[in-house]
Amino acid sequence: MSVLIDKNSRVVIQGIAGNFGKFSARDLKAYGTQVVAGVAQGKNLKEVDGIAVFPDIRTACRETKADAIITYVPAIVAFDAILDACEAGCKVIVYPGDGLPVQDAIEVRAAASANGAVIIGPNTPGIISPGKAKLGFMPSFCFLEGRLGVISRSGSLSYEAAFRLTSQGIGQSTVIGIGGDPVKGLNAAEAVALLHADPDTDAILYLGEIGGNDEYAVARYAAQADAKPTAALIIGKSAPPGKKMGHAAAMVGSHADSQAAKVAALRQANVTVADNLASLCSAAQSALAQAAHLQK
Amino acid sequence: MLLTEYEGKQRLREYGIAIPEGLLISKPEQIHRWKGDFPVAIKAQVASGGRGKAGGVLRAENASQLLTQAQTLLTMEFSGEKPRSLLVEPWIPHEREIYLALTIDVTAGGYVIVYSPQGGVEVENQQPVQYSFGAPRAFRAQALREILAPVESDGSLRERIITFARRLLYLATAIDAITVEINPLIVLSNGHLLALDAKIVRDEAAAFRHADLSAAIKTSRKREPRAMAQALAGNLMMVWLEGEIGLISGGAGMTMAAMDMIADEGAQAACFLDCSSNPTPAGYSLAFKILDAEPQVKAILFSIFGGGTHIDRVARTLHDILKKRRSKKPVVIRMNGTGRFEADAFMQSVGLTNHPTLEAAVTEVVTLASSV
Repeated sequence: MSVLIDKNSRVVIQGIAGNFGKFSARDLKAYGTQVVAGVAQGKNLKEVDGIAVFPDIRTACRETKADAIITYVPAIVAFDAILDACEAGCKVIVYPGDGLPVQDAIEVRAAASANGAVIIGPNTPGIISPGKAKLGFMPSFCFLEGRLGVISRSGSLSYEAAFRLTSQGIGQSTVIGIGGDPVKGLNAAEAVALLHADPDTDAILYLGEIGGNDEYAVARYAAQADAKPTAALIIGKSAPPGKKMGHAAAMVGSHADSQAAKVAALRQANVTVADNLASLCSAAQSALAQAAHLQK
Repeated sequence: MLLTEYEGKQRLREYGIAIPEGLLISKPEQIHRWKGDFPVAIKAQVASGGRGKAGGVLRAENASQLLTQAQTLLTMEFSGEKPRSLLVEPWIPHEREIYLALTIDVTAGGYVIVYSPQGGVEVENQQPVQYSFGAPRAFRAQALREILAPVESDGSLRERIITFARRLLYLATAIDAITVEINPLIVLSNGHLLALDAKIVRDEAAAFRHADLSAAIKTSRKREPRAMAQALAGNLMMVWLEGEIGLISGGAGMTMAAMDMIADEGAQAACFLDCSSNPTPAGYSLAFKILDAEPQVKAILFSIFGGGTHIDRVARTLHDILKKRRSKKPVVIRMNGTGRFEADAFMQSVGLTNHPTLEAAVTEVVTLASSV
């Protein structure tokens, strides 16, 4: 049991003919993920590295009974690619690309919901359930099988955090990159709900940042009586107000957007908040220790 | 991208929302073109908020006063921005000011209509009502009607607002706006509505399908300071800061985390510089070129935790750049991620030090910067 993907997930890689797609196909197969098809639109390819290649997503899903996809296409064509994936029967759709217009994000969110699918992204490295399955391009060696569920708005920060956790022997059940955009597929509230329902997850680590209000959704969850013990790290305390810090949503426009306000709200909800990266592992340990105590 | 009031109002008019008949001028001597009645409102056209409170909107009773005020406004600055032009409009008597906006509800992941029965500068003092409906096709007039009913007793006004809300939605989807705000929207004695102000924010990510937006972004980048303009032109994400540590990084999260750690060590980053959107020899070379040229930067931290970016390739690129580089500013490296074994072996072979942790690298770069 894991969140959204497992060893039975049948994965399509869209954009498999490109360098990034080829690397990702080898990387996912090496991790034990079942890559059943590739898609290379407009190219007359039959296979890449032993993986059957199809001219479009619908054909690929129909022929291979695929149920998950990672789509390496630029934002200008992502809208149509994600709609195709939703309607072709993919239940998990990872869109790592950056720069998807907000209007398109709103539309694909609605399409996913209408088709019973979940979109991870945009602007994400994807999702990994260590030791079980991987649908993304995060560096595998950073991750270790375990019982801490991790949610991150930032890809790079999730690698750093997982590397630290793994070095300390703290394994992860599932690590979900929800992405740094204002409107996304799976948001923090929905990701927390998945980890809450997952029997393999004992405690939750949330990696957040300035701007947006995902952190308040996590605080609302943590304040519930039956919430799993939760730890967090919120970055951006040194960011100046009114400036977009790389991610489309990472900007301090009001007090509620600031790192200080978010940390206060999370602490109010009994979340163990790490002051900085150096204290991340001890915050995670503390949440796992609380979980162990609750199970006694 | 925030449009000026004038640009925003032209968009509103195209979508059937009435605006006052105004005159746009860029020089004080152009005010003789105003053929309408007095008094008038004269308003600075800037892309920053809080203009009214900062004195950017004045009332002129006659032509000579209008000229003086035009001269005054054009020399003023609003959040560091000089007005590019001034908008002259008739001063319109009205009974009521209301607030109407369409924006993004990030919690629900969709559009939201925001309404307040009292608009104007006091709008922030009260709780507006909100109709969050998700995708455009889910908008239902009846749902909005039910939300407006408890706060808006004037039935015919309520119906006009619903019609306008629908028009804001058509406009937002047509031009990829993420905010269309009218404050105040005024109620005339005949019950008609008129937009006295307009705040429209367009989604820059949608520039690929709007030639006008794409051109406006290019123009606004040219107004940035040189280092910023260079970085943006090279597809690097940069925010210039006050500090002395040049930070070249990958990924918004790790760039911010490194900034925070530098601050914890008592120093400050000179920039947020995220190369993940252009992790190529050209991108990294440009990053060094920009930071080497800035006297404020005393030392450089090169910090990459690569996923899609393979750090063995980055290590080779970095070695090439450092070999050719003339600047004597010290460079501290910390890399990890995809390709780390190859990267470490390569760096060792060419005599580059890769710090094992971000903490170690930050301590080193802060020490080097303070001893320069």
